[in-house]
This record gives sequence, structure tokens and C-alpha cells, in this order.
Amino acid sequence: MDAEAAKLLGAGIAMGVGALGPGIGLGMLLGKAYESIARQPEVAGDIRTNMFIGIGVTEAVALYAFVVALILIFVA
Amino acid sequence: MMKRKRLIWAFVAIIALAAVIGIDVLKEPGQAEEFEIAEEFELHPIIELPSIGPFDLSITKAVVYLWLTAAVLIVFALLVRRSLKRETPSRFRVMMELLYSLAHDGIVGAVMKSGRATWFPYIASAFFFVLTANLLGLIPLPLAEHNQFGFYTATANLYVTLALALCTFVFTHYAGLRQNGPRYFVNWAPSSAPPVLKQLIWVIHAVSEVFRLVSLAVRLFANMLAGHAILAVFFAMALIFQSYLAAVVLQGASVLIYMFEIFVAFIQAFIFAILSAVYISGALDQEH
Repeated sequence: MDAEAAKLLGAGIAMGVGALGPGIGLGMLLGKAYESIARQPEVAGDIRTNMFIGIGVTEAVALYAFVVALILIFVA
Repeated sequence: MMKRKRLIWAFVAIIALAAVIGIDVLKEPGQAEEFEIAEEFELHPIIELPSIGPFDLSITKAVVYLWLTAAVLIVFALLVRRSLKRETPSRFRVMMELLYSLAHDGIVGAVMKSGRATWFPYIASAFFFVLTANLLGLIPLPLAEHNQFGFYTATANLYVTLALALCTFVFTHYAGLRQNGPRYFVNWAPSSAPPVLKQLIWVIHAVSEVFRLVSLAVRLFANMLAGHAILAVFFAMALIFQSYLAAVVLQGASVLIYMFEIFVAFIQAFIFAILSAVYISGALDQEH
């Protein structure tokens, strides 16, 4: 395998595996948030605000993988 | 009467748009038969300027997009001020009031306990600036190479988002120091913890402060870059597959992606502002 192919493979694997964890996390987060909104619709606003904070923090992990993939393709 | 006037304006706008696109296509026939995604995000100086030390002052398309963002915000602010003088609220004013109340109640009011009046201006400015920059990036402008139309946004540039995140970083510690004095740094570790553990927690907190800055910048940057890369790829399907059939099939998908990107532009501006509010309010009301 030459270096170029290894680079591209590495980028693909980084993005694919790196998206796994945040995907599961986001699913759990959104599921729980909607569950609690359904249970207590009167605090839906508070829950939604906190949900967005959680989304922002969780999603950043996948974006680190994306940046690593970009670095592998274009910089390394 | 109003309807006819509006129709005429829409007609003129469509003709102007078609003329601009037609001129752009006819100007350099055969240009850009290849598509390279990396070239879309390269910054070429539009106006060359000398660099002062390590700082290159050339005007690139990111700078132009930032100027446009500022100009749009100033024009909107003036329009809002003018519309406030009228008795009946116009459609534009209602929309702006909705956005304002989202920043006021949805972000600052929902997150901050104290210092709302002091920090609302900064957080609302950050929200509106990021939102406008993100949305402007969805309008193709002739700023790519050879003055071709291309997608770009100022927030798909790590330097821009890092500068925005640095604002939040500096304001967070300024707010904490002003509210709590030098105790602000002591309060980073809980006072009830045993001595060695306390120092360890303090170091972990200091590292996390730096990573907050990095994650705030990288989140916005990577989201907008990924979104625009997908948009560019979908709009360039005819060039990538070298076939019009694939393009026709996939153009429909590109419209859906475009609509999703509008949603992402809103969400990312909201998340940037709300995380700024969370960090600042965490520095103001420290746990002892």
C-alpha cells in the first residue's frame, strides 16, 4: 500500500469511526430530551435550551474527527 | 397596486440575476471543467497588500464576506430603527422582534442568572453576527477564482471562528474577575476537596478552559466547512461525473441539502451564542 492510499483510508476510517460515538450519544441525548418533554410539556423550553447545549458539546467530538480527516487528506 | 409593483420588482430581479449568470457563463467559455473540492476553500488575495510582520493584510474573500456581514447588519439595524417609528408593526419588524426575543429570552434569559443586562449586548451581537455570516455564506457570490460564482462563508475559516471564540474567552475571564475579584481563580477548584486533589482539579479546570476555546472555534468552523463542502460537491455533480444525467438526478438532492444548511446556520449561531452565555454565566456565578 503506498502512502497516498493509506492517507485516504485513514481519513475515511477516522471520519467513520469518529462519527460512531457522537451518533450514539446524540441519539440518546435527543431521545431522553423528547421523552422528558413528553412527560413534562410545561418545562419544554428549559429542556430544549439544555438539549442544544448538550448537542453542541456532543457534536464537537464528531467534528474533531472531521478535522483530523481533513488534515490527513490535505496537510499530512 | 401593491401586488403589481411587487411583481414588476420580482421580474426585474429575475432578469438581472439571469443576466449576471449569463454574462458569467459566456465570459469564459470552457472554464472549470474539473472540480477540486479543496480549491473552493483556498484563499487567494483579491487585493494584494503588504504584510506587517507575520500578519498578511491582503483582502481575501473571507475578508469580503466579513465586510458584507457587517454591512448587512448595519443596514438591518437602520431599517429596524426606522420601522420602530411607525405605529403598526410591519412584517420585517415582527421578524426582527422574534429574533431579538430569541436572543433575549431564549439564550440570555434561559441560561444566565445574574448580569443579564451587562452581557446581553455581547451575546446578542455574537448571535446576530454568526447568524448573518452563516446565512450570507449560502448566497453564491462571484468571489472565486476568475470571478466565478462560488460558495464560501467567513465562518468556514478557522481564523474567523477562532477570533470570535477568543472574544468569548476574554470576556468570560474578564466577567469572572470583575465579579469575584482574584478569588475567581481560587474558585476554580472546590474548597471542600482535600489539598492534593484540589490542585489536580484546578489543573484539569485550567486545561478545560483552553479546550472550551478550541472547541467553540472548531465546532463552528467544521460545521460550516462540512456543510459548504457537501453543498459544493452536490452542485458540481455534472463536473464530477462528467454527465448531465447524474446532475439532473442529484440536483434535487442538492436543494434538500441547501434547506438543511439553512437550518444548520441557525442552529450553529444559536449554539455559539448559548455556549458563550453558559461560559460567561459560569464565570459570574461560581460554585464555592
